[in-house]
Amino acid sequence: MLKGKKLKLPDRLGSLVAGFEDKDEDSGGSGSVCELGEELEILQPTGFRSDRESETDDDHDHNEVQEEEPMVKRKMKADAELEHNGRQPRHEKDGSSHISVIKTIEADEKRSDIEYEISQKEINLEKLQRIASTGIPEGGNLRATVWKLILGYLPPSRDLWEKELSENRKKYAKLKEELLLTPSELARMKEEAFQSNEHSNAHSDTAGPLIRHEISHEDHPLSLGKASVWHQFFEHTEIAEQIDRDLQRTHPEMKFFSGESSFGRKHRESMRNVLLLFSKLNPAIRYVQGMNEVLAPLYYVFSTDTDEKNASNAEADSFSCFVLLLSDSVDHFCQQLDNSSVGILSTLSRLSDLLKANDEELWRHLEFTSKVKPQYYGFRWITLLLTQEFNLQSILRIWDSLISSPFGIQEMLLRVCCAMLLCVKSRLLSGDFAANLKLLQHYPEINIEHLLQVAQDLTPDTSYYRLSS
Amino acid sequence: MVLVLALGDLHIPHRAADLPPKFKSMLVPGKIQHIICTGNLCIKEVQDYLKTLCPDLHITRGEYDEDTRYPETKTLTIGQFKLGLCHGHQVIPWGDLDSLAMLQRQLDVDILVTGHTHQFTAYKHEGGVVINPGSATGAYSSITYDVNPSFVLMDIDGLRVVVYVYELIDGEVKVDKIDFKKTPATTHSAH
Repeated sequence: MLKGKKLKLPDRLGSLVAGFEDKDEDSGGSGSVCELGEELEILQPTGFRSDRESETDDDHDHNEVQEEEPMVKRKMKADAELEHNGRQPRHEKDGSSHISVIKTIEADEKRSDIEYEISQKEINLEKLQRIASTGIPEGGNLRATVWKLILGYLPPSRDLWEKELSENRKKYAKLKEELLLTPSELARMKEEAFQSNEHSNAHSDTAGPLIRHEISHEDHPLSLGKASVWHQFFEHTEIAEQIDRDLQRTHPEMKFFSGESSFGRKHRESMRNVLLLFSKLNPAIRYVQGMNEVLAPLYYVFSTDTDEKNASNAEADSFSCFVLLLSDSVDHFCQQLDNSSVGILSTLSRLSDLLKANDEELWRHLEFTSKVKPQYYGFRWITLLLTQEFNLQSILRIWDSLISSPFGIQEMLLRVCCAMLLCVKSRLLSGDFAANLKLLQHYPEINIEHLLQVAQDLTPDTSYYRLSS
Repeated sequence: MVLVLALGDLHIPHRAADLPPKFKSMLVPGKIQHIICTGNLCIKEVQDYLKTLCPDLHITRGEYDEDTRYPETKTLTIGQFKLGLCHGHQVIPWGDLDSLAMLQRQLDVDILVTGHTHQFTAYKHEGGVVINPGSATGAYSSITYDVNPSFVLMDIDGLRVVVYVYELIDGEVKVDKIDFKKTPATTHSAH
């Protein structure tokens, strides 16, 4: 909603913008235009805001790789304005088809760039990272392959891919066998290996009393001993139940994950195996609610890989990449480490410092005036890597930037969180504790490209670097 | 992997006050999928207690049960196995293998679980397997006063059953294991 102030739009638009007036309260847009419309809404000029916006736009021009991009944005903004004024979508149709053509060209260019990079024998990871941080186009197996490469799952030399992949997948299958079998299956396999004769005698058709074998106190299903296979199995059953419950709630709007089709069930089962295995291999952390959300985008990307072999091994691949993705932030899940230097509270205070370094006014307002501490909103943002704040498509785009950021995933994550705060600054400044908390816990829809650009442009918090050893 | 608890002849409150504490500590909810009870509980409170361990509870009537609505015999299918349940006081002579085998053929089950003798037994004959879980409280029977508390836990896994026998001997829980497989050919009716 345009608050009655004239937006300063650069000349580039020329005639499209001439004679333009802002009208209040015209609920706007539809479809793709709406996104940009939203952008305008949030960044409404409180003097500072509009300056910042045109600033970033200008920066945009300089930093953007493609020439067309700013032009596209301007045009889309203009269309949004038109909509707001109730002018008929004739322009929009014209505009948006023009826009979509340009966007398709851009996407194709990027796609061929990435494909070129991946097809090299020795892949230049830095270059790939740079391209990936501007967003990986949909389609094909680009995203899956690029993520695997940058996370370190696939080695940079193409020749080693086959070997690495098959080794890792075999390792995963073996782990599954070792850790995910029920005790009765385990016992059965042990016996089959054993092949004792007395068993075959008992099975012959001679009638009579059955032979009793004495067993130790650990070896029966009701055993309460810690070392008992059965006891451990039942402990993990509880975790498995929790995992199942959470998986039912993962992305319920997507057919891929939810619903009773064999499709959805198969995916949930694979994810269940991954999470269960992870909890067994990390007894200190086990399973924490939310890990299912972090796994979901990974698993989704890998199973929608157009390469058949990759898609069918999505479970194994997503397990390894899940571990890699969480490698520096897994401590966030451990409650005991909350107050330590690697725990979540320390990370949250870094977020606070980052905000302070970039926008002291907002920081002051949040910390002192409205007393909204980062714990209240940031905990979920950071531990779950923003998976609960946006829809899946946006998450994939954000993760492109997170994973390929030269600062590292955690650093980039803090930047994105800070950018999220900055982008709703005006609403935050005018809100009290309750309103701000509500806003931040139900983060509004926003243009992701803009958000990521803001995150990119933040001044780093140098105090952290001075203190850390 | 399906865990089935088989027990019976508790005779609470007439002949015994409760299950032995060592048994009670082992029987926790969440592990067992089915409970089959041969009978002689005798009161409703015992049924309620068993219900808390597992919602799927099957009981047949023993001669001292206060609830007269339990059936005389019951059959159920768990996995690949057909199980039959009967208290056993109806089968004379009590505890006689051949008579029980007749009952088993009548019910057409792979595993017949009966009680009444308060002694654990497990027999195999051509028709199948007969298991008597004994008395879970160690209550005296019509035949003898010398009874060790015992019950049975069956782990049904495909065509294989592992029977865990829990017995309280001299205050200590002893666990034994019995294995048997069902060959697909043994599902034949009486010849």
